[in-house]
Amino acid sequence: MLILILLHALAALTALALGRRLGPRVFLVAALAPLVSVGLLAGRAPGVLDGRPVDEALRWAPSLGLVAAFRLDGFALLVGGLVAGIGVLVMVYASAYFHRGPAVGRAAALLVAFAGAMLGIVLADDLLLIYVFWELTSITSYLLIGIEDQKGSARAAALHALLVTGGGGLAMLGGFVLLGQEAGTYRLSEILAAPPSGGLVGPALALILVGAFTKSAQFPFHGWLPGAMSAPTPISAYLHSATMVKAGVYLIARLAPAFAAAVAFWRPTVVLVGLATMLLGGWRALRETDLKLLLAYGTVSQLGFMTTLFGVGLPEWTFAGAAILLTHALFKAALFMVVGIVDHQAGTRDLRHLGVLWRALPMTAAVAVVAAASMAGLPLLATFPAKEFAFEAALHGGLGRLDPVLAVGLVGGSALTAAYAFRFAWGAFIGGRGAQPTTAKPPARALLGPALVLSALSIALGVAPVLADKVVAPAAQALHADASGLHLALWHGITSALVASAIAVGVGVVLFVRRYAVVRLQRRLQVLPPASAVYARAIERLLHGADLVTGFVQNGSLPIYLGVILLTAVMLPAAHLVAGGSLPQQWVVAETPMQALVTVLTIGAAIGTAVAARRFVAVLFLGGVGYGVAVLFVIQGAPDLALTQFLVETLALVIFVLVLRHLPERFGGSPSRRSHVLRLAVAGIVGVFVTAFALVAAAARTGESVSEEFLARSLPEAGGRNVVNVILVDFRAIDTLGEITVLGVAALGVAALVRTKVDDDT
Amino acid sequence: MIVLLAVTVGALYAAGVYLLLQRTLTRIVIGLAVLAHGANLLLLLAGGRAGRAPIVDGEAGRVADPLPQALALTAIVIAFGVSAFLLALAHRSRRQTHDDIVQDDVEDRRIARMARGETHR
Amino acid sequence: MTPERSLILHRAVEVVFPIALVFAVFLLFAGHNAPGGGFVGGLVAGAAFVLRYVDGGSTEVRRAARVHPETLVGTGMAMAAITGAVGWLGGGSFLESRKLSIDLPLLGTAKTTTSLPFDIGVMLVVVGLVVMILRTLGSESHK
Repeated sequence: MLILILLHALAALTALALGRRLGPRVFLVAALAPLVSVGLLAGRAPGVLDGRPVDEALRWAPSLGLVAAFRLDGFALLVGGLVAGIGVLVMVYASAYFHRGPAVGRAAALLVAFAGAMLGIVLADDLLLIYVFWELTSITSYLLIGIEDQKGSARAAALHALLVTGGGGLAMLGGFVLLGQEAGTYRLSEILAAPPSGGLVGPALALILVGAFTKSAQFPFHGWLPGAMSAPTPISAYLHSATMVKAGVYLIARLAPAFAAAVAFWRPTVVLVGLATMLLGGWRALRETDLKLLLAYGTVSQLGFMTTLFGVGLPEWTFAGAAILLTHALFKAALFMVVGIVDHQAGTRDLRHLGVLWRALPMTAAVAVVAAASMAGLPLLATFPAKEFAFEAALHGGLGRLDPVLAVGLVGGSALTAAYAFRFAWGAFIGGRGAQPTTAKPPARALLGPALVLSALSIALGVAPVLADKVVAPAAQALHADASGLHLALWHGITSALVASAIAVGVGVVLFVRRYAVVRLQRRLQVLPPASAVYARAIERLLHGADLVTGFVQNGSLPIYLGVILLTAVMLPAAHLVAGGSLPQQWVVAETPMQALVTVLTIGAAIGTAVAARRFVAVLFLGGVGYGVAVLFVIQGAPDLALTQFLVETLALVIFVLVLRHLPERFGGSPSRRSHVLRLAVAGIVGVFVTAFALVAAAARTGESVSEEFLARSLPEAGGRNVVNVILVDFRAIDTLGEITVLGVAALGVAALVRTKVDDDT
Repeated sequence: MIVLLAVTVGALYAAGVYLLLQRTLTRIVIGLAVLAHGANLLLLLAGGRAGRAPIVDGEAGRVADPLPQALALTAIVIAFGVSAFLLALAHRSRRQTHDDIVQDDVEDRRIARMARGETHR
Repeated sequence: MTPERSLILHRAVEVVFPIALVFAVFLLFAGHNAPGGGFVGGLVAGAAFVLRYVDGGSTEVRRAARVHPETLVGTGMAMAAITGAVGWLGGGSFLESRKLSIDLPLLGTAKTTTSLPFDIGVMLVVVGLVVMILRTLGSESHK
């Protein structure tokens, strides 16, 4: 399975390289990766559908416990199959939709990279791996929405999507870590098999839900999805309706069976958020005149529908969710493709300027009407049995106070769905107020073909639900072991679910017929500010807050920054020192009288550097400090150090002189008395702390020094008697390599600073 | 253990920090050098009491710990490189602004003004 | 530095410079068994170049070290890194050293280890840094 994802990465690179030469045909090259995926998934399908998942694990950093674990079970097969299958169709469609241009290679590469990341989410069995792929889809989505990067609106929409989904992703990462720690494993299958129940599970799931809600455009995070429609239509069709936005739903579907009952807030939260989204999205879709925006709000609504179904976490509900997930992908991808065709051939996608397109584009109209009818939930089309199942579950009850909410909400949401589906099909293709039979050219076969395939599937699965049942039933069972024995059927008899379906479609027809009254009512009911305005306000506040914080903590004065850093560096260890440090048992003032003398001289020279008012005097004092320390090295038994120190000090003195001859004799600037006292105070605190630290540290050794080993191994193994040198060039040679790199960089830096000409304008 | 050495380390740190907090780049460089001396001495001090040089020659007796010496040796030379770089920086600052005073960060000041609503982005 | 150069200084530096360089190389080779090594050797050689600088400014340094300091630094780092990579040959780890003994006619057997080229690399980098400083910060043309 890892190889599939790598294949997508390879295809992305190939597409990038070939984009300029092949033009839009590069999409056909890119389509090979999802095509191979379809083949490979189909090859594994028989076993997986029989309930034998395929596991695969690559231990890529065993010392950190990181395992790249993948698992193909029934649900992964369903979602993965949709990702790959629709991926192939969208790329074929894109090869006819895009025109030759510089961005084509990039679009193809990003699209196939996205497909790989999405497959990764679905196939990964490790929470952290899921997170990585999740963020990859966010990033590719950002780049794809903004693919027309010269348009400011596209860039803004892309950023909006990235901030919302990326922010949610971060929350989710926090949730994943909490959940993984609580469970003791990051393997999703193991967590679901034995769900943890510790105190952190609640917060963990709440954070994960934030991630899922943002990704699947649930209320109140839904604002980014309509904005994302500024992407070219193939991208919207693939990312923002059929696949990526389902990542959140996917995660809810996986987690709900294990946690919906155990965690008190899960069911009410997920169900209410889902229903609110379903109703809100459907309501907004009734008002939009841009066909693409209409579908976008429809997608928001349907995502709410799926969130609700999966969120309940009971077998029937999960089953219904899996069925809707499949049928929604089929009709919504087809509808987006149709909008693209209309836009491409008729030059507009505004309902007010479109009408009776069936005359000019008969096949396109047929595809559109079938897909819209499936969306509306009409019989003999794929969504009908799936919806029946959902109503059946809702009317069955057993969830206490949520029962009536669910029943009314789902039927109401379905009525709205039916209404905007009729509006879409009628307004553009059958009737339409614009009613100017647009003179549209018939679309290319590659444009129409993929949509045709999808609508044909909608009919096939509608007439013979058994076909859908073959993948939906194992998918539901993979999520919920108790889901066996559930099946989709064409006809259940005259049941309450059928009545509910009829009511939904009936109310939908009424809403459609009275659509102008509905629009007027909407205008009057506008109470909530639009999501985009909320987002804009939030960003503005955020920036202002950042300014405030930055202005407070970063006032621009280097001494103040340093002072804060130094005091912090002292405070934390000082607390430990006071609490746990122990002073040495025996006190030695000095090893030799000579040492005592040199320390006193060194301290004197150090004070001299600090108080000197002339540059040369300060540097001479610095030299005094250096030579003093060198003598201390000799006394301590470190001839190498002393030798180095003497030489360095001499060379440093020369360099100081080289620079100082260009500088004023005295130090300029007289600081205020207050800042002077502050500097002295900080310096004093640091000095006292370091003295105490040095005393405690010298007494704190508990184990033997590793140097014993160095001393023993130096001659026999490294062939050197000078242990210090052997450590430098052999035992710890990598440190030395790093060090000479620093020296090399310093040398280049000096050259660059001195040799570059001075700009006159600064 | 050796009190005078510990006090020396503390004094070097204090002087170094005091110089580091100044606005003249030359004093900052000098401060950094003094601080480096203090750090090297501290490293050596952590190795324990004085002893013979750590050279394997078959003689008996206390040998000074070689590891802190190796670390300090590296540190001395690095401090040298860094000082050279900073001095080159001072040199350039002098050529560009005719002094080596470190000014307040202009960008930071601008953001602070923005937060007070005095300017807009 | 000054237009009229001191003749005594000039002669003295002429004598001392090669001796200092030889001493630096001695320290480098001796470093494995006695105080010394690449750092110290490099610093002594650097000090020798400082003497040339005192004698005749950065032009004198330019005359003494014909190669660019960048070349010295680059060669030194490359030598150290390649020595490290040699450790990989034969399944060892990066920078793992080996003992070598070479039989030289007349002189007998010379024993050394692969860490010697590493130390030579260190020395070259240090010398390169010093020469670079003398040729840039020490130059008169920037004022």
